[in-house]
Amino acid sequence: MKQGQMMRGADAVIKVLAAHGVTNIFGYPGGAIMPIYDALYGAPVEHLLSRHEQGAAFAALGYARASGKTGVCFATSGPGATNLVTSLADALLDSVPLVAITGQVSTAVIGTDAFQEIDVLGLSLSCTKHSFMVTEMDELIPTLYKAFEVAASGRPGPVLVDIPKDIQIGMLEYKTPLQERSSEPEFDEERVDAALSLLRQAKQPMLYVGGGVGMASAVDQLRAFIDATGVPSVATLKGLGSIANDSPGYLGMLGMHGSKAANIAVQECDLLIVVGARFDDRVTGRLASFAEHAKVIHLDIDSAELGKLRLPDVAIAGDLRQILPALCTSLEIAPWQDEVAQLKREHSWNYDRPGELIFAPAMLNRLADKLPEDSVVCCDVGQHQMWVAQHMWFRKPEDHLSSAGLGTMGFGLPAAIGAKVSRPDATVVAVSGDGSFMMNVQELTTIKRRKLPVKILLIDNQKLGMVKQWQQLFFEERYSETDLSDNPDFVTMASAFDIPGRTITTTDQVEAALDHLVNCEGPYLLHVRIDDAHNVWPLVPPGASNRDMMEEMDKQT
Amino acid sequence: MIYTLTLTLAHRPEVLERVLRVVRHRGFKVTKMNMQLEDGKTASLDMALESERAIELLTTQLEKLIDVIECRVVSLESVNAEKVAS
Repeated sequence: MKQGQMMRGADAVIKVLAAHGVTNIFGYPGGAIMPIYDALYGAPVEHLLSRHEQGAAFAALGYARASGKTGVCFATSGPGATNLVTSLADALLDSVPLVAITGQVSTAVIGTDAFQEIDVLGLSLSCTKHSFMVTEMDELIPTLYKAFEVAASGRPGPVLVDIPKDIQIGMLEYKTPLQERSSEPEFDEERVDAALSLLRQAKQPMLYVGGGVGMASAVDQLRAFIDATGVPSVATLKGLGSIANDSPGYLGMLGMHGSKAANIAVQECDLLIVVGARFDDRVTGRLASFAEHAKVIHLDIDSAELGKLRLPDVAIAGDLRQILPALCTSLEIAPWQDEVAQLKREHSWNYDRPGELIFAPAMLNRLADKLPEDSVVCCDVGQHQMWVAQHMWFRKPEDHLSSAGLGTMGFGLPAAIGAKVSRPDATVVAVSGDGSFMMNVQELTTIKRRKLPVKILLIDNQKLGMVKQWQQLFFEERYSETDLSDNPDFVTMASAFDIPGRTITTTDQVEAALDHLVNCEGPYLLHVRIDDAHNVWPLVPPGASNRDMMEEMDKQT
Repeated sequence: MIYTLTLTLAHRPEVLERVLRVVRHRGFKVTKMNMQLEDGKTASLDMALESERAIELLTTQLEKLIDVIECRVVSLESVNAEKVAS
């Protein structure tokens, strides 16, 4: 970069992005961000036009989560910025590094209720890790550098930079700021000794793995720890893919829709080793009775998570890549390993269903087996999301993108677009439901525009299935506003975006249809009608202990 | 419980809102507050707070804010809220 060159603020924005290795931006233009879009014109950075700012930011999230890089999105002031809020909140809850740049009205008219003016800095306070509004020309470049540093360091998260129009068109001298080096987090050796002591005393230890392992790029260290100790393991929704699927003591997901074996093993353990996880209520069920006889070792980069919901016996804040190797030790826990293996056998999934109607769990299990090694599955939110978590398997955490903390319907399709952009050689499948799919369906245009070969598996029970399930179980079958039997013809709709597809309704169609979905060139929509009587099982009812899981009670059809 | 906190903040126009939002959202009530802009770059903020929750649940969250330079618990008192606020 040529130092001291005079340029517009808008040109400096694009140059700072290039200096950070940003090759792809997702966004939508508008009045207050026009100078930045002007600077983008002809610049060596690829911009993908979404058809809604929420879609742009979700695509940036998918890009970030599938690749480990920081995602970048642009939006204009006012409605452009407010449309980002849901995606920023999603990134905050799931700790995803994202830099969102919004245009703002000129500084002279801020606070006058100008056209498309809203207090974006104020809006951002509760849905970002940090945020800035640039009000001086000489702050612009250092602020952008700081934004990238904050987004990716420590526990990652979204950072918003609001840039008024006069700052975009004003002139500045381009200077690379002196970068503060963030100090390497260090952890306490004495606590490592205390943790090792607890590990060696434990007769029935369990490992509870969250999304922090993938975010810390500590999958190898985690697997080495499992190999060294032989500790049986469970994962959260975001932790899926961290543990090798064929790891002998791995029991899958725990929590509200976890496997029965996972929940029983955690309830019976005498030591819970929590790695990059945060005792989320969907994981713990009734907190007071969660692993109630267990001592706890809690490892996380974010010290605010240590003791937030469960007081640990030993807590270590720091980089999991350094902490996990320090805890590798051999343990004598053969009787417990046998007990866990027995639980795994007793509570394995049963995919045999009589009848012609398609059983989504069995179909998703077959899809997992058919996907090539380099694949990404993006979910929406609801019953299909839980079936994906239960019945598919993943090689790495970045192969499974699911809106976990915020649970945002409409995440899957735009996230798949971002994932395909960041990993163009991967097979990318968006698994959606008929409710979620319609929430960001406008992004089909983005697929059309770039001819992105994103595969869509649309599981359709003509219901808002998860809400319907709760109405059935906990609201006396009063099905308030969950009937979606007036859905559009999805295959016809996809064809309007040049996306071919077909509908299947019976079990004997599944194998060939999945093969075509995975192997065909270009985008494709496989619309799968399923039996609307099927629910997600097992289930920990709200307020109950994870020990008290409800078992399948669907009527067989 | 009544707590007294002293924070040193990097002064930004929105820093007070940022701190107060976290205080409210994490379940603490401000009963008394004083902010002083020190040298144009930093500000000190003293707050008396009331909550049933442990103060660490707040201080760990405040310490994560980029503009919080220091967060110190000055006192922990099990006294009546009115006495401190008055």
